[in-house]
Amino acid sequence: MENIIEVKRLAKIFGNETALKDISFEVKKGETFGFLGPSGSGKTTTIKILTAQLRETDGEAYVFGVPAEQIKQNHYRRRIGVLTDNSGLYSRLSIWDNLKLYCDLYDVPATRIEEVIEMVNLKGEEKKKVSALSKGMLQRVILARSFLHKPELLFLDEPTSALDPVNSRHIYRGLEKLKSEGTTIFLTTHDMNEAELLCDRVAFLNNGTIQLLEEPKVLKKKFGNDMLKVELTDGTEVMIEKGPKGAQQLFEYMNVNKVAGIQSNEPTLGDIFIEVTGRKLS
Amino acid sequence: MNQSIKRTMAIFQKDYKDFTKNLYVSSMIFLPLFLAAFYGRMGVQSLDMVFMVFNLTLTVIAAFTQSALIAEEKEKNTLRGLMLSPAGTGEILIGKSLVSFLISAIVLIFSAFLIGYQPENALLIVAALFVSILFYLGIGTLLGLITRSVMEASVAILPVLLFFSFSSFAVQLSDEYPILKVAEYLPNSQLVDLGYAVQNGAGFGDGWAALLIITAWTIGVSALVVAVYQKKMVDK
Repeated sequence: MENIIEVKRLAKIFGNETALKDISFEVKKGETFGFLGPSGSGKTTTIKILTAQLRETDGEAYVFGVPAEQIKQNHYRRRIGVLTDNSGLYSRLSIWDNLKLYCDLYDVPATRIEEVIEMVNLKGEEKKKVSALSKGMLQRVILARSFLHKPELLFLDEPTSALDPVNSRHIYRGLEKLKSEGTTIFLTTHDMNEAELLCDRVAFLNNGTIQLLEEPKVLKKKFGNDMLKVELTDGTEVMIEKGPKGAQQLFEYMNVNKVAGIQSNEPTLGDIFIEVTGRKLS
Repeated sequence: MNQSIKRTMAIFQKDYKDFTKNLYVSSMIFLPLFLAAFYGRMGVQSLDMVFMVFNLTLTVIAAFTQSALIAEEKEKNTLRGLMLSPAGTGEILIGKSLVSFLISAIVLIFSAFLIGYQPENALLIVAALFVSILFYLGIGTLLGLITRSVMEASVAILPVLLFFSFSSFAVQLSDEYPILKVAEYLPNSQLVDLGYAVQNGAGFGDGWAALLIITAWTIGVSALVVAVYQKKMVDK
């Protein structure tokens, strides 16, 4: 599959501080790639380098097969969408006016506004002034603006950080729709559930280095312990193996009506991150 | 419509809507108009006073308004959004200058009307004022780009305002202090000189030197604006 992004031994140093140390990865066309790590791990720095907002100190970064620096050329900008922590809106204007400006800049018909408004669950709020919006609503408008022009490659830096679970779910559905239409998504997040739900592959970034890069399901299998957690009717929990021995044990509990629930004991991505990096994601 | 013009006009329309709702900046247009009306009612005929109002209009409207509009884009992180869009440097800078340009032109026309200024060669004065607006827009854009907020831009504009509104008076002291002769070559002084020349019957043939000097300043400032803008596209 064609690589949309290729990063080779990328490094970024700010003064005495190393933000990225020799990171390498590829993002394939059409995939949702999760860049996971705690605050300050280098996620935003990577997005800024890939979108030509920042120069790398060393290494190479290619987007659409050209050096990332060339992404500032107009014909490439049309193909990307970006949401970062420094994306802003015009506070005295309405949601509709803000999005209309970008429709004109990207040569997109204004009818597209309705579609993206629906995707971010803001239907009926179009005429509201941006200054009157909550933080979560602002985030959703910025998100809507980032994919207004149906970009080939969408960079999302913590897109649901200010959102409640209901609105996050709306966004996830919107992103899945974009993905089904062929958009490649580069997603940074420290929400492991989000990554698990959306990403085809995830990279764990810690202290400026990639410590692991794999598909979530492969990781779970690799770090899983092949055990089932059985909750008994007396409130106790027992761990049993998934093999024939465990089956026999489970049968015995079931035979005397003692099983209240059975859960797979797979680790979450959060558990794996902590195991690999020794750090919590916050 | 050509896509480039469409993008420029989209930025202009957005700025126009935003400007009408921005009382802090839009209320500034009354300052030169008030001064012009005051001098007009007093029957002031001195060209120095007329051009002081013009230079004040250029600094307060063209330079200050422009610096505030650009600085606000930076402060609210909206300029980066424009930079990441398909709009090019020229489209963004021209689109972002149109509101300040039109308001400056309108206020200059009204100021001239309120003072009762009727030059012998209106075309030459209009040409000089046109180029001067571009120069002050450049100064405003530059200040907006190098400051971080509207408040910072409002402070940074003060010395510019004083310098370009009143430095033409410094030329009168150049006999006593020869160093002040340099002020003769400032665009505001050239504008005043041109005003006097036109009053004495000068045409385009006599006024081209002043126009050329103001144009040279404008080109210099514009080149600086583009260089600083390009630099601001990339974080440090």
